[in-house]
Amino acid sequence: MVQAKGITKTYNKGSGASVQALREVNLEIQQGEFVAIMGASGSGKSTLMNILGCLDKPSGGQLLLDGQEVSQMDDQALAKVRNQKIGFVFQSFNLMPRANALENVELPLIYSDKADITRLSREALESVGLKDRIHHNPGELSGGQQQRVAIARAIVNQPEIIFADEPTGNLDTRSSYEIIALFQQLNQQGKTVVLVTHEPDIAEYAKRIIKITDGSIVSDQANASPKDAALALDQIPKQEVRNENK
Amino acid sequence: MRTNRTISTALKCLRRYRLRSFLMMIGIVVGIAALTMVVSAGLGSQKRVMDRVKVFGVSAIMIHAGGGEVTQPSGGTPTNTLTVDDVDAIAHEVPDVVGVAPMGQKGRVEIKYLDRTATTNIFGVTPSWVPVWDWDVTEGDFITDEDMEGLNRVCVLGTTVYKALFDSTADPVGERIMIGSVAFEVKGLMKSKGTSPRGGDMDNRIFVPLSTFMKRVDNVDYISGVRVRFGGSGSIEQKAEEVRTVLRSRHQLATGQPDDFSLITPTEIVKVAKKVAGTFNVLLIIVSAISLIAGGVVIANLMLLSVNERRREIGLRMAVGASSSDIRQQFLAEAVVITLIGGVFGLLLGALGIGLMRQLSKMPLVISWASVLMGLVFSGAVGIVAGYQPAKRAARVQPVEALRG
Repeated sequence: MVQAKGITKTYNKGSGASVQALREVNLEIQQGEFVAIMGASGSGKSTLMNILGCLDKPSGGQLLLDGQEVSQMDDQALAKVRNQKIGFVFQSFNLMPRANALENVELPLIYSDKADITRLSREALESVGLKDRIHHNPGELSGGQQQRVAIARAIVNQPEIIFADEPTGNLDTRSSYEIIALFQQLNQQGKTVVLVTHEPDIAEYAKRIIKITDGSIVSDQANASPKDAALALDQIPKQEVRNENK
Repeated sequence: MRTNRTISTALKCLRRYRLRSFLMMIGIVVGIAALTMVVSAGLGSQKRVMDRVKVFGVSAIMIHAGGGEVTQPSGGTPTNTLTVDDVDAIAHEVPDVVGVAPMGQKGRVEIKYLDRTATTNIFGVTPSWVPVWDWDVTEGDFITDEDMEGLNRVCVLGTTVYKALFDSTADPVGERIMIGSVAFEVKGLMKSKGTSPRGGDMDNRIFVPLSTFMKRVDNVDYISGVRVRFGGSGSIEQKAEEVRTVLRSRHQLATGQPDDFSLITPTEIVKVAKKVAGTFNVLLIIVSAISLIAGGVVIANLMLLSVNERRREIGLRMAVGASSSDIRQQFLAEAVVITLIGGVFGLLLGALGIGLMRQLSKMPLVISWASVLMGLVFSGAVGIVAGYQPAKRAARVQPVEALRG
């Protein structure tokens, strides 16, 4: 469902110097995959994710989403694609601090044609286990809960693919596993998940691991035996559990 | 994005930043309140003029002896130029004349009843006064043809004169009052007429038969003015011109020689009054417009600040499906919504101010739907102008940059 052909991205850094963030990236992701894109910081993994997620435009190459050429689309059409086909989860959650969980989750629906915004948002929050936190502001929620609100926001408009950029980067161990477990659950329900991370431990929960260095893919392998985050969660000492749920 | 969603999103965002929204609103509230009050005062003075014109009558003109400007009728020229024969000529030669009311006038005359005295204006009039001015007695009778023929010493009182000489319950009819050194019998009491187009008290008058006035009060063979009432259709200005032609030929005025009488038409009264009120209003409207502009500048500044502060939110909105134009519309909507709300509060504050001013002064104030509409249109316009640049800047935010970090 995602086809990237010879994608390049060049940033101009003033004074004539330019940085090549992506060099001729070729990549294909099928429906239902759980892909981890790994790389050190500055390797170009986030740039790749932004381009695959239609948030940024490539400098060259071709990108097809569901067979549709998106690299030539205008702003309006791209916005529609992002709205209907793609869900984003960020490292720093990116929730609106002055809006409650429900209003944050409603955001994608505001830009869709769907009615019944509140009901859909409520259901999304329930599906990530935040039924009783609907009217809390982000400041009143733990990091793990905030990221779950963000995931509810990513799935509320029923996108086919979810892009997550270091979703566990700001979370403690237990919350990290909770979030990964949630992604695995969504993947089992048929969602395509693309996870960007620099932690090898996290990548092992994906079904396919792509490694990227200096803007090029250096390895692309299926993970024959992905770990189960729900199991990992059970093995965390109870002490820590109590701390998180205080 | 649907319009109602744009507006509800704008409202939500304004609610999230209450203090800022409040500060944005203040300038508009003050500006619109000032504008409302100014416009209301302007409309009020206009209404006052129109009311006076209504008193004057829209189908009648006034001719005063002596040339000069409307504002200074006798302008230094002699005022013995108009005669009863002139009035007859107007009545017979000018078409569409349905009535003429000649009058002799003498100001600041001492009158006396028992031990009470007053200073008033004596008007010598004919019975035609009643239909021509549409002004009748409320008690007793008006001057009759017999009074005219007999040079009777009878008079009809204006209400101001009546109040000055008599107790409020007293019946003046049949009583004798002294006008100068001559005794007159009171025949009747006029209805109250109010203020004249020039601002004088039309009830501070005593009416006597014109014949009596000319022979016994003022001892003159000319009159001071005549009111001519027209019927039929057509422009009153044109009819006035015909009167002018008749009078000029009777007075043997050569072309180029100025009139030795002055002609006042209703349109002329409106013109003069509007000129006086107009300059005053323009000044006040400029002042309120400046305060609106200042309010707009404040909004533009705070909006720019808001866009900078909310870059991350803007990036996020774009990431979840907002197009640049959605963002532009949202910020524009925020500016317009805040100014419209400010406009509504400004109108309310203005109405409050008007109510207060009505209590404190006799200033005539009028609230019209037009001024309410104008207030809303102005505040909306300020919102669009002030919000345009910030909204444009918001729409240019690059989501990837805004969401980084």
